Amino acid sequence: MFRLTLRNLLHKKIRFAFTTGIVVIGVTFVVGVFALTDSIRSSFDDLASDIESGIDLTVRVPLQIGDELDRVRVPQEVADRVAAVPGVARVDGRIVARNTSVIDDNGEPIAPRGPPTLGSSWFPTQFFVVDGRPPDGPDEFAINSKAATAHDLVVGNTYDISGPNEQRSFRLVGIYNFGDPDKDKSLAASAVAFDTATAQEFLNGGEGFNEVSVAIEPGADRATVQQAVADVVGSEYEVVDQSAKIEETQADFGQFISIFGNVLLAFALIGVFVSAFIINNVFQIVLGQRVRELGLLRAIGATGRQVSRSVIGEAALVGFLSTVIGLVAGLGLARLLRIMLKSGGFALPDGPIGLRPRTVVFAVVVGMGVTLVSSILPALRARRISPMAALSDTAKLAKGSLATRARIGGLMVSIGAVLLGLGLFGGFDTKPLLFFISVGAIMVFIGTTVLSPVSASQVARHIGWPLQKVFGVPGKLARENAARSPRRTSSTAGALMIGLALVSMAGVVGQSIKETFAGTIDNSVRADYFIQSASGGFDPNVGFSAEVVDRLAALPELDLIVGYRFGLDSIDVNGSTKNVFTTDFAAGVSHMDPDVLSGSIADADPLGSILLHKDPARDLQVTVGDTLVVGFPDGEVEALTVAAIYADSTIYDNYVIDNAMWDRHFNRSELMFATATISGYSDSLPDDEKTALLASSAAAIEKVTDSYPTVTVENRVQFRETQQARLDSFLIVISVFLGLALFIALVGISITLALSVFERTREIGLLRAVGLTRRQLRRSVRWEAAIVSVFGALLGVALGLIFGIAAAIAIPDTAIKSVAIPWRNLVIYVIVAAVAGLIAAILPARRAAKMNILEAIATE
Amino acid sequence: MDSTSITMEATAARAVGATKVYGSGETRVCALDGVTAEFERGRFTAIMGPSGSGKSTLMHCLAGLDTLTEGRVFIGDTDLSTLSERKLTLLRRDKVGFVFQAFNLVPTLTAIENITLPMDLAGRDPDREWLDNVIDTVGLRDRLTHRPSELSGGQQQRVAVSRALASNPEIIFADEPTGNLDSTSGAEVLDFMRHAVDELGQTIVMVTHDPVAAAHADRAVFLVDGRIVDEMADPTAELVLDEMKLLSRR
Amino acid sequence: MSLLTTNPTATDLVAARAINLTKIYGRGDTEVRALDGIDVEFHQGQFTAIMGPSGSGKSTLMHCLAGLDRITSGSIVIGGTDLTALNERRLTLLRRDRIGFVFQAFNLVPTLTALENITLPMDLAGTKPDPAWLDTVIDTVGLRDRMTHRPSELSGGQQQRVAVARALAGRPELIFADEPTGNLDSTTGAEILSFMRRAVREMEQTIIMVTHDPVAASYADRVVFLVDGTIVDDLVDPTADSVLDAMKRLGN
Repeated sequence: MFRLTLRNLLHKKIRFAFTTGIVVIGVTFVVGVFALTDSIRSSFDDLASDIESGIDLTVRVPLQIGDELDRVRVPQEVADRVAAVPGVARVDGRIVARNTSVIDDNGEPIAPRGPPTLGSSWFPTQFFVVDGRPPDGPDEFAINSKAATAHDLVVGNTYDISGPNEQRSFRLVGIYNFGDPDKDKSLAASAVAFDTATAQEFLNGGEGFNEVSVAIEPGADRATVQQAVADVVGSEYEVVDQSAKIEETQADFGQFISIFGNVLLAFALIGVFVSAFIINNVFQIVLGQRVRELGLLRAIGATGRQVSRSVIGEAALVGFLSTVIGLVAGLGLARLLRIMLKSGGFALPDGPIGLRPRTVVFAVVVGMGVTLVSSILPALRARRISPMAALSDTAKLAKGSLATRARIGGLMVSIGAVLLGLGLFGGFDTKPLLFFISVGAIMVFIGTTVLSPVSASQVARHIGWPLQKVFGVPGKLARENAARSPRRTSSTAGALMIGLALVSMAGVVGQSIKETFAGTIDNSVRADYFIQSASGGFDPNVGFSAEVVDRLAALPELDLIVGYRFGLDSIDVNGSTKNVFTTDFAAGVSHMDPDVLSGSIADADPLGSILLHKDPARDLQVTVGDTLVVGFPDGEVEALTVAAIYADSTIYDNYVIDNAMWDRHFNRSELMFATATISGYSDSLPDDEKTALLASSAAAIEKVTDSYPTVTVENRVQFRETQQARLDSFLIVISVFLGLALFIALVGISITLALSVFERTREIGLLRAVGLTRRQLRRSVRWEAAIVSVFGALLGVALGLIFGIAAAIAIPDTAIKSVAIPWRNLVIYVIVAAVAGLIAAILPARRAAKMNILEAIATE
Repeated sequence: MDSTSITMEATAARAVGATKVYGSGETRVCALDGVTAEFERGRFTAIMGPSGSGKSTLMHCLAGLDTLTEGRVFIGDTDLSTLSERKLTLLRRDKVGFVFQAFNLVPTLTAIENITLPMDLAGRDPDREWLDNVIDTVGLRDRLTHRPSELSGGQQQRVAVSRALASNPEIIFADEPTGNLDSTSGAEVLDFMRHAVDELGQTIVMVTHDPVAAAHADRAVFLVDGRIVDEMADPTAELVLDEMKLLSRR
Repeated sequence: MSLLTTNPTATDLVAARAINLTKIYGRGDTEVRALDGIDVEFHQGQFTAIMGPSGSGKSTLMHCLAGLDRITSGSIVIGGTDLTALNERRLTLLRRDRIGFVFQAFNLVPTLTALENITLPMDLAGTKPDPAWLDTVIDTVGLRDRMTHRPSELSGGQQQRVAVARALAGRPELIFADEPTGNLDSTTGAEILSFMRRAVREMEQTIIMVTHDPVAASYADRVVFLVDGTIVDDLVDPTADSVLDAMKRLGN
């Protein structure tokens, strides 16, 4: 039987290749994602080691919440004390900052996009000069060689550097390699270095160090020295040894990679899911065609088990081959992805891309798992083939009853819906939440597919009705053929359904976000100009210095400027870490209206109050006037009065403090955002006056921002458009990924159609004999595919609508306040699916038309 | 009856020196070897012969389903070798009726839809009177909305014959139309075909190996190894059997 | 000729027997009695033909005798084994080890070579064929130079010969042939039938063949005639003429 299994595969080489190819696609993606993220992770791991090389201990102030940069500074005096400890070879105070952008000769800033733009003091053990010398003086800076090369920076030239607090010019005195004398291992967009005093002043706004690095004398006992240092600095500071620090850095990197990797993996798994559909379909159809041969085997003495084992064996071989090919191809894909992401601006490290055992295991699970699972049902059916099938022209595989399918499908959909509901509304933590949502969604998908044949015939007939009217008999044939095997139709359509469901869901979520945003802008924001970092958008780590806001505030054309900051997971409320927003209590109200329910923002004490959204207020059971104990990154705790409770969280998220309070407890000074209003502007002015005011204010603003290329200023219209464009391009990226799933689905439709046509050889021969022309035949095949595609698309769009609406409801109000449905896009998706079906049918239609009539009629 | 007394206009179909060779070398088969035959209008002719005699091949070539290696084939005055593939298809659709041994009907269409299929393909409306006539003659009016799976074997074959008749073709070709039927159903179909020739003026050429079926024909033509070896007018089952005995001794 | 005349010169050993065999298809309106209470015996070492018009039930009879199809009532005994007592698996093993098959068409597995097709039942059983016997069989059907060819590379006649070789290779108790020459021309058909007769005469095989062809039937030792599911005639030492006569009588 093994020989038979092997022969069967080799006999139909094209089909074997297609089937293998589909599984290979799935395996390749999974392997590629893992290989890429593993490579990135190991590069970051190496980077973490490089950052800490030569540093045995780090002394710093402990940080519970907030950003690394918010650590309270270590004063010079502590560094001196540590230097005096016996066994300490050398002590360096380190200063680090982000948002330090050099503006090149063209006036373009080196902008953070993914990797940050770093600023620091000079690290003698990690920086290796390759040109010039280290910075020494208040006007001097050095930069890493990758950035220097990428932006044509020349030693000796003067450049403007935009820092966290202000923008100033410096002279480039040196270029260095980070981490290795021969190679710049930095992964940042750029890393600017100053001497210690300059770094403290320009980057830190004062004195002290972010951390103090300690090198231990070789030969000294590390544990003893570490203890001695700890004793000397006291309990206010923590002393971290090298390996702990490396682990910490690696963990930080790891978080980022995990998110990135999980997103890619999700797409890969979608591809796998779609492949599984198609494989299952192909196996079923192929088996249906081999009924006679299998009946013969049964007649001459093969037991049912031998037959089913052969079917599974074939699947296993396909799976095995696919796994092997997929492993190799996956490595190639990882390389390709890396190149693509790099060219898209995401600099990724160039490490080796290899296979970890875990990746191989996953590849096997996907490759073999998909094929084997897909072959189980066909194998079971094969087992029941009767020897009489050998003698009959019209032997068919037994089919499960539709009633059973309806029951199972209905059950799966129900369970899946419950799980989804739990995930969306159960208020769980991230891990169980994702579990519920993904398992729930998958069950709903599979359940719908299991259910769909119950309605497939009816729906297909309805979809095909206009075709019959327009095209006559070919249309009727297309309609009836799509309707006659509801199982085949719905499983073929299933692959398309997945892609379209996801695209539709993304569309609904995207549209809801867009409209919420537009609503917010229109109703709650009363500013005329919006100022933000040129590159970062709303990335919480990217900000701009307050200096530009100060200069704009000085313009007579503008009457008020408000700055805002944002801290991710930066305050502690009742034991949980929360995000925090800042504004000017007094001035901010004229620009932003968060729909205050009780209390007053304008009257709130900037240094003693906090504002709450109604949801956390309800959860914490506080009202205006109550006290809330809030912890800050500097370790201090304040009891703040709840000054106001508001209903709209799209602007301010859940917690708001005043800018003055932020300055008190946070080191970071960059603004994330600022709004400005034009002096004397009002909507009730006559149009020509309004235009004049807009023009004059725009001109004045531009004079200022010309020298600050890291900042953009947009008026209401521009701002709205930019944000919407950003969202649109994000959606396009999703669509491109899902486009791949759609492509796989269409290949599946093509294969299934080709096999169906082959199955109907005799019938086609009859029709041709009786007078169906080739053109009419091709037409009927094409439109059959279109009907199936539309069926899948309608199902997919319906599911996507449901998932999208559910997601929109579940996503917190900060992003989505109301659900909006992009009807026009959804209709377009269905039309595109129909067209794609037509295209997928081109080859099968041509093959059908080429059939020799006599051979077709005589086909057994 | 002497075949030469049939005039050209009265010939529904004709083969002249028809030769058909398959394959080459080891697997070379000469299915038809210079067959010349005429089929008169308004007549029911049976083509008979043992397995491999070429009878089916002859019919396929006459009907435009297959092409000859040498020789010519005519439907009416039309030389089939002058027609393109598309024209052949249209000829089959409009001028020729088909009844195969099995699998005659499109499973997804109802009986009436199967019957009017060639005309629907042409986009023409059937002649209502004629259609009613055919349906009443075949006696299946109450089954018209049924799918083939809901009809018995005999009923399916009768629907097939109705389809062949419905477009009022020049000639109807039937390939072992009763081969899969029991004697009773077979007789029904054959009677219907006989009736079609007698009452409706049709021309039928039927390939069969069954002497009982042949007995319904006006004339039987015998093929062996690709050549016509004998002819019989007004055949009976006994005579045909005797003839076949004779032929099997060759 | 009288019904159920037994040939006095054949051994009294019964290779296959049907007892009150009935097979009904369908239900209610569409019920068809394919076999109606048939009693018949087939003797070892004999070549028996089963004939009848279309729809007579001859193929059904063979399928039931061979254990390919289930019967409605009655019993079938092959070499002492009552088929009705066997479950699906045992039935399969019986077919594999004790019965040989030749069908009208689609006898061979398209992806296997001629030799692999011939040894297929034994490969399925995991046993090795007797090499001497295998050689004899291959030489008897005269296909030694074709053993590595696939069915698509063989003519119709050669395919049937391979099928016959496969049926013989396992030294079965019984060989069932369903219209084995139905798709072949007269010459090739005659070859196959000669092989089959030789197998019976020289190799002590027992063959039961369904056919509608009088010439094919004439190779047999005995012809059993069915009409509408019952046996109506039984002819010994048939010739093509006597078979045709019998068929004529059937038509009346």
